[in-house]
Amino acid sequence: MNCEEYWSEFAGPEPGERLNAHLAACSSCAARWAAERPVAAGLRLLAAEMKHVSAPPRLEAKLVRAYRERHGRRAAAVGEVRHWWAAAAAVILVAGVLWTGGRGPSAPPVAAANAAVVAAAGVEEEDTAFLPLPNATGSLQDDDVDLVRVELPRSAVTAVGIPGGDDGEAGSVEAEVLVGPDGMARAVRFLN
Amino acid sequence: MKPPESDHQLFERLRAGEEQAFVSLYHRRQPSLYRFALQMSGSAPVAEDITQEVFLTLLREECGFDPERGSLIAYLFGIARKLLLRQFERRRAEVGVDAGAEETGLSELADASDTLADLAARERIEALRRAVSSLPRRYREVVVLCDLEEVDYAEAAEALECPIGTVRSRLHRARLLLADKLRDERPGTSAVPAWKAARCLI
Repeated sequence: MNCEEYWSEFAGPEPGERLNAHLAACSSCAARWAAERPVAAGLRLLAAEMKHVSAPPRLEAKLVRAYRERHGRRAAAVGEVRHWWAAAAAVILVAGVLWTGGRGPSAPPVAAANAAVVAAAGVEEEDTAFLPLPNATGSLQDDDVDLVRVELPRSAVTAVGIPGGDDGEAGSVEAEVLVGPDGMARAVRFLN
Repeated sequence: MKPPESDHQLFERLRAGEEQAFVSLYHRRQPSLYRFALQMSGSAPVAEDITQEVFLTLLREECGFDPERGSLIAYLFGIARKLLLRQFERRRAEVGVDAGAEETGLSELADASDTLADLAARERIEALRRAVSSLPRRYREVVVLCDLEEVDYAEAAEALECPIGTVRSRLHRARLLLADKLRDERPGTSAVPAWKAARCLI
């Protein structure tokens, strides 16, 4: 194996036995690899550090909306949630918030609730816009929200005055919930 | 256990109108596409726009993905790259080569993970991150794709529209350039202040 073959065959992260044989015999390539090796190792560390980085959740919401505009809304199964545990938690949170929001004497109406939360979540006001949940307080950074799809009892929705549709209080409705970094549901959008 | 669906299977299903296939593909591929755009542009808003545009391309009637010609991930990276090139061209036309103008995205990332105990290691990683950002574009893209996102060389070659040998040779060259840049950044060895690494927009 000559030097050219060595460098065209090897790119890392570490040379194998055959390539090492060339390094042992070629001081020039060995010196070059000695300069490259710590960089390759550093890049692996950098890659590991970057692994948690991804687009903010609002992008998924935007793209799903674009998808629905193109393909029409199709019923999505409850099993489609990203994280089961998060979905379960969100169901409880949303149902709880809706329940207390509907009964509590000082709870603001859903429509009048913190509009800034919705704006912060990067969601436009329209028919399918996210509704801020009562008691969803505090500032919310765009990047902090997570989008979770859940299924709620229809009765929890009608309890706060949102029409339950032809089925009355029976059955369930699908919703997408924006969950803040504290795990609290901030806004909800009903899908059916 | 059922094996995970391939990208191509998800693509077929999403084109047939199955939203969940689109969401699954998004979850699988968005992070690496976003990071690629972020590392290449140095700007979180640009990275978000590019990622959005890549996935919107999949929804269009005229989406040009052909499984006979390569993998879906290579196709997606290829689109992201073309969009970035357009972005660079636009930026160059508007403001010229402006070093450091959009450092915010990556600087914020650096600040966000200060929990590492070893500050020296932390500083070395940051220096490396800056050095990657300052590589000429054709070297930066191979480093980001192959070393940071661990895309295999064949797929990187598809995305970059060049032979696989070129990917390898650029990768070696890029690492040596990075070694030089890191050497230059050591205190007392460089006339350029350590925190002023310029991003190359070429």
